[in-house]
Amino acid sequence: MTTATASLFETRAESVPGRRILVAEDSPTTHEILKLLLQQRGHDVDIATDGEQALEALRHNRYDVALLDFHLPKMSGLDVAATIRHEAQDRPLPRLVAITADVEGLLADEQGCDNFDQVLPKPLDIYHVAQVVEGQDEIAEAERLAPAPRPAAPRIAEERRSPFEDLGYSLLTWPGDIDTGRLSARAMQASLGDPRFDGILIKTPVSVEDLAALWNAKALYMLPIIDLTGTLGRIADVDAPKLTALDRGQLDDAIRAAHDRRARLHRDLQFSTELGDQLIGKLYVSNRPLTPSYDPLVTWLVSYDVALTTPVIAREAEALCEHGLLRREFFDKFHVCPRCDSLRLHVREECVQCHSSNLEEEQYLHHFRCAYQGPEQEFRRGDQLICPKCRYELTHFGFDYDRPGSMVVCQACGHAASEPAVGFVCLDCGNHVGGDVAPIRDLYTYRLTDHGIGFAEHGRSLLGSASHALRFADLPLELVVALNAAAKRYNEAKEPFTLVNLFYRNEREVVAQHGARAFAKARDLFIENVRASLSEASLVVKGQSHDYALLAGVGPEQAKGDFDLFVVQAANTLSHDIGASFQVFGPEDFV
Amino acid sequence: MLQLVSDGITYLTAQSGESLFRLFWFVVIFELPRYTLGFLSVAAISLHWRRAPTEGRDLRRVTALIAGHNEEDSIERCVRSLHEQTRPPDEIIVVSDGSTDRMAERMRSLQNRGLIKEAHCTQVRAGKSAAVNLALSRATGDIVVVVDCDCTFDRRAIQKIIEPLADPRTAGVSGNVVVRNSSTNLLTEFQAIEYLISISQGRQAADLTGQVSCISGAFGAFRRSALLGVGGLDAGGGEDLDVTLSLRKAGWKVVFAADAVCYTDVPTTLGALVRQRFRWERDSVRLRYRKHRDMIDPFSSRFSWQEIAHEFDFLVFNIGSAVVFPIYIAWLFVTYGDLALVILFGAQAGMMLFDGVTFALSALVTPRVNALRLMPYVVGYSLFNGFVMRFVRLGAYLDEWILESSYQDTYVPQKVHRVRR
Repeated sequence: MTTATASLFETRAESVPGRRILVAEDSPTTHEILKLLLQQRGHDVDIATDGEQALEALRHNRYDVALLDFHLPKMSGLDVAATIRHEAQDRPLPRLVAITADVEGLLADEQGCDNFDQVLPKPLDIYHVAQVVEGQDEIAEAERLAPAPRPAAPRIAEERRSPFEDLGYSLLTWPGDIDTGRLSARAMQASLGDPRFDGILIKTPVSVEDLAALWNAKALYMLPIIDLTGTLGRIADVDAPKLTALDRGQLDDAIRAAHDRRARLHRDLQFSTELGDQLIGKLYVSNRPLTPSYDPLVTWLVSYDVALTTPVIAREAEALCEHGLLRREFFDKFHVCPRCDSLRLHVREECVQCHSSNLEEEQYLHHFRCAYQGPEQEFRRGDQLICPKCRYELTHFGFDYDRPGSMVVCQACGHAASEPAVGFVCLDCGNHVGGDVAPIRDLYTYRLTDHGIGFAEHGRSLLGSASHALRFADLPLELVVALNAAAKRYNEAKEPFTLVNLFYRNEREVVAQHGARAFAKARDLFIENVRASLSEASLVVKGQSHDYALLAGVGPEQAKGDFDLFVVQAANTLSHDIGASFQVFGPEDFV
Repeated sequence: MLQLVSDGITYLTAQSGESLFRLFWFVVIFELPRYTLGFLSVAAISLHWRRAPTEGRDLRRVTALIAGHNEEDSIERCVRSLHEQTRPPDEIIVVSDGSTDRMAERMRSLQNRGLIKEAHCTQVRAGKSAAVNLALSRATGDIVVVVDCDCTFDRRAIQKIIEPLADPRTAGVSGNVVVRNSSTNLLTEFQAIEYLISISQGRQAADLTGQVSCISGAFGAFRRSALLGVGGLDAGGGEDLDVTLSLRKAGWKVVFAADAVCYTDVPTTLGALVRQRFRWERDSVRLRYRKHRDMIDPFSSRFSWQEIAHEFDFLVFNIGSAVVFPIYIAWLFVTYGDLALVILFGAQAGMMLFDGVTFALSALVTPRVNALRLMPYVVGYSLFNGFVMRFVRLGAYLDEWILESSYQDTYVPQKVHRVRR
């Protein structure tokens, strides 16, 4: 966890230039968090706590980005945006980003769509905010240099509306909602796991590499891909050009099935940023094995039916096999170019000595009478066969002569052998490799194991304590802020602190036996009990699959002793044994 | 019986020189000259009457040719033994002559490891001559060394066998063949002694007088141009004798290199030994008196006094001794009755003595063999050679003369027998 933490606790050292940012937000917690986060990443942050302040600040200062809460006191964020846009005329404007919990509401508002460049849905995701602020340099730059009329993306999409969009599904479109490096508000809503979305409609040809955008946007990867272009082939969950009007039922089934299985996929996987987890999630939702097929267009000669490149899939799937989450079935064996790792090899018969493929097979004749044995060519005189040694004519096959074998003669170097060697030439780098030394790579079909299915349905808790490692990305924002403050106090005054990571070993069993609600109630009660045992200065925060306690003024050694007791006490009053366990992390763990 | 023996001894000791000849004329005519020649040659060799050492011009390219039929077990050892040479061959070409075992596979593996240059496999058996010819057509060396698959080599064998080819008049060199499995049984011990006397010492003696008439198929070196000049090997058995005679006929010198030692296994059963000798002797007769008869025909243009010596040697000491020996025995019994047995034993005792001395001298000039160990077997060898092998030879000569059996030999494919000269 140290690397993840380090990147947040240290100031940002990468080449993204510091931006001037206005945060208009009435909740002190939220603006505190945003300020902390963005300042640490090297940006200048101004805070406005109501709409009028925000408008004033925008009028008098130049900002690169303005994050406007939709619901502000005195004047709504939408009004601020509309006003400043109106006043600005041709003057360059900051990027206006709406922060709202009600993305659909904003989208429903025609004005809302036009006035904001982007929407960030609540609850805020710290990485997402950073991405929005920093990740759009090029676009921001381009717009500043040439303020063109903003493209009304939804309208363009409307012009080329596909009949699929009129089937009553809620589909994200590519381009439109999702594009390389840009997500619409709807797409962002979907990326938070909003179950109202049904799928992703691919309207223009895209490459597998382009589709990386889906894997980088949390829950988007789970949505079925409906390909209108026919270029994705088996990567698409629904290959639209292959559907006929009668297949409507098939489409319905596919979307319904995907919905059902998405609902059953555990949160840990839905929102994981780890590709391995996502792959498990995707296989679980699509409910089919990870199947390879021959594809001459890629260097690995094989594509899988998931929107990732073959090397990535092979790497991830092999790692998952080691953890017992996937099981592999042999598909095919390939020879690999040792220089460029390509599998596109040209197989040929070649000279053992010089590797030339310019070979000719010569049969040889054996003249019984004088024991001369040599290539047929030496005997040929027009249509006659004359022995080069004794000048007799060979007339009677099987009595004068026979053909005991043949040799392969290299036309390049003259070497002869009874059999040619087999060799490869790499089509991608031109490298030559001998048939017996070329490395071999096996590719497999991968299926979810029972363990893998369990992981998909029950999340990380299934994997046992070994995988209960503290994952920084999982920490609630509130905790990140508090942790940061504690770290600062530790740096300045050497005041110790301890982060306790609580997790529940028996989650799966309790959920299976008594239902998810029973588990949730038990967990809530447990947390309350823990909170009651702790001092005022301590912070207890609920997370997704883990809960956390931050103890100020206490070192990890002492905290561990105390918590051993607290946990036992807190668990005493519960009706189910949720298997509460914990790990402690001291200041040293965050260095 | 005892009376007979003592009478016999009394009788023999009472004889004078002239009457001894009358009794032992067979030994005097057919055995004594052979031994005498042996003694003289050993004396000459010991007195350093050797071929002047030619300067080691081994810059020339050497190709080793191996032809084998179903030799999956021995091919690897043979090739490795060639790589162990002080003068390794520059290229090795192996031909599998219609092998039905895994020899082809072994050859491929050797080639993949770079131990041999070319590997050729025929699907149909063509015979050793044709296989060697195929390899010869692929060879690029100035010198080709033809070796048998089941042979292994002394580390200096190649170096020594190519040395005499520095002389531009020399076309072929015979290697020295030593028995590898001599300790298997009595039969192989006898053969070890026989090889030592007839090849190691016998050919050395022949070499002194320029009379080497057979380059062993097991291990021989040839000037490639000369070998191609006589058309490579000819069809049929005894191709080693055949090609040597052809080279001699073409005017080339053929010599023996006693230091170029190769080791081979000899037959371990009497049946196998008899079959082998029948083949050899039949082929000798066929080649010398049918195919190459022009060499001893005074009216032929190919007649040469050079060749008379070894032809005479073979005629008298091989054929003559085998044919006359039964006549001699019959004559003894007719003339002397029971006393013949004693005379015969007396003759044998004398030959044993000669054999012992010959063997000791042979051992003296052949350093690679543990002769001391073989010494006790010399007595048995003398009897075995004098009685058993002599009759085997006789059988073979009659067989060939009357039935022309060499034309049915399974050593050569039947299709070849049918048409060859």
